[in-house]
Amino acid sequence: MSAMLLNKEKWSEFIGKLSGKNLWAPAVQGEVKKYAPVAEGETVELDEGNTTVPPKALLFPQTETLYRFSTGKEELEFPGLDEEMVLLGVRPCDARAMALVENLFRWDFDDPYYLKRRELTTLIGLACNEPELNCFCPSVGGSPDSTEGLDILMTDLGESYLLETVTEKGKAIVEEMKDLLEEAPADALEQKEQLAKGAREKIRRGIDPEGIPEALPQLWEDPLWQRISAPCLGCGICTYLCPTCYCFDIQDEIEGSAGRRCRMWDSCMFAEYTKHTSGHNPRPTRRERTRNRINHKYSYFVDKFGVIACVGCGRCSTLCPVNIDLIDILRQVKAAQ
Amino acid sequence: MDLDKLRKTAAEVVSRDDVKYLIGWRRGTFGYRVAPHFIEDAAGVDELIFSPLCIANLANYLTLTEKLPVPRGQEADTRKVALLVKGCDSRAVAQLIVEKGIKREDVVVIGMPCPGMIDWKLLAERYPETDVAAEIGWKGEDFLLIRGEEEITIPRAEVLAEKCRLCRHPNPVLSDITIGEAVEPWAVAEDSGVAEIEAKEAAERWDYWEEQFSKCIRCYSCRNACPLCYCEDCILDRLDPIWVNRAVNFSENTAFHLARAFHLAGRCVECGECERVCPVGIPLGKLNRKLARTVREEYGFEPGLDPEAEPFQASFKPDDPEEFIL
Repeated sequence: MSAMLLNKEKWSEFIGKLSGKNLWAPAVQGEVKKYAPVAEGETVELDEGNTTVPPKALLFPQTETLYRFSTGKEELEFPGLDEEMVLLGVRPCDARAMALVENLFRWDFDDPYYLKRRELTTLIGLACNEPELNCFCPSVGGSPDSTEGLDILMTDLGESYLLETVTEKGKAIVEEMKDLLEEAPADALEQKEQLAKGAREKIRRGIDPEGIPEALPQLWEDPLWQRISAPCLGCGICTYLCPTCYCFDIQDEIEGSAGRRCRMWDSCMFAEYTKHTSGHNPRPTRRERTRNRINHKYSYFVDKFGVIACVGCGRCSTLCPVNIDLIDILRQVKAAQ
Repeated sequence: MDLDKLRKTAAEVVSRDDVKYLIGWRRGTFGYRVAPHFIEDAAGVDELIFSPLCIANLANYLTLTEKLPVPRGQEADTRKVALLVKGCDSRAVAQLIVEKGIKREDVVVIGMPCPGMIDWKLLAERYPETDVAAEIGWKGEDFLLIRGEEEITIPRAEVLAEKCRLCRHPNPVLSDITIGEAVEPWAVAEDSGVAEIEAKEAAERWDYWEEQFSKCIRCYSCRNACPLCYCEDCILDRLDPIWVNRAVNFSENTAFHLARAFHLAGRCVECGECERVCPVGIPLGKLNRKLARTVREEYGFEPGLDPEAEPFQASFKPDDPEEFIL
């Protein structure tokens, strides 16, 4: 892993060079922070805190055309997926989520859409110096300076950014930018380690997940699910804005003689998600749906892929309008064991 | 606020044989969050609170809670649900009764005269949330934030929720039991949020809503949090025919939000839950308040004030205005 230093005086030049590569970065739009394209000539200001909408929305769009069709035409029209993309300022938790989600998209079938986009995307991460209130990445195997899933990890050192190269893709970017970069001195690396250590110490919430994957199947009929789910609105906030939730639905949209087959995010918190054609719903209430959401992340995914499908970004806890708090749920699970 | 009296009353109510559970509020798990609290026995009342953070409208749960088919050989549980309501929440209960969404005799309404609630996001801008659930109360007209030893007075105008600033019915319009004295309704200024949009040219207004609806992620939290959006089979969930495509884009999002707004005209009680729960900050309150005001000004009708009223959209008067009919 090579380490380079980018003086902030050269930041706009750095952005200028990247913006020719279909660059996306966090931007504040009204109340929401989300990834937005950076046009040539525009600058980017990276600050602390994460986006409301995770960057999964760029690799796994909320609505995505799989192909177009029309009557009387045998060929299907597939979208051309060939545009490279650079995501700047991706938080280590969100990048780690992409690495976890890849397990699913490579599982029994290689999903060409997701994997192609993933291949075309370079992730330039930004280590968290100031974790947010509900951040708990170290509890679930992450860290504020994790490089998992990233191509380059940047750390804000104040006057400059430290750029650590993680992959070949990252190396290619660093190579292109080499006129703007200088070799990082040893004290910059030392400073980065101090910042990462400080960030870990600033994390206020957390839970030791030890035993939870094993406990969950035992608690299938426990009254805790009724208690936890009673206030649930049954909306899609916790799943849609979760960086590791990947459920989708496939629908055809037809107008006249032409249409498209598309896939769109779906949520296990919706009643419709498991509703059968017969009208029967095996998860008839929010109790079963809440239980599924937690079991999926902390038990089923662990059984299948050996890792918890939660990166501790805290979005579900922060954004739930009725304070259904994942960390609190996990505490209750441990207490009920 | 007499918390002891509230808890004592709540304990009496949940102990009644004809009451299934009571829905109130409890302190959340961090920061300025408060959680709906479902109490099944007297022990649960110890966590019950009523504070300026109890902004959520619990009337929603009267229709949100699933009613599963009763297994053969079992009797349906017909016990009542007891509910804590502020002024706006009580209007939702009254409107549900008007629409026959619920029966009056199925609920025990515990009224809480409401001095106004805090918009926690405004508070968090001044005093960031911490990992400890904050303790907040009223202090005269203002709010009091208690942090350990420290007591901070927060001027009312700085953090009062927009819907409370515009509230004309702070006292419950119906209740079986009322806790505390009625509050004096406060002077309500013009709805500047709506006025600002009305002042725009039509094209500008369209641009404004295009920007807002384009942000929508269709999580349906607004629909699900709305106490008066309770169709068992919502048109948004229909697959055959599909009235609103699942695709998330400006066109479909607009169809969703406008359909919801129209269905709420003359029914919305302005409790503000739609806007409060939106994770991407769409100002749905402005849309619904505009419709509510039109109904109020054109037809002299305000929903949710009288559980005996005729529903607005199902009533006709010979002198209803019709100037807007082309």
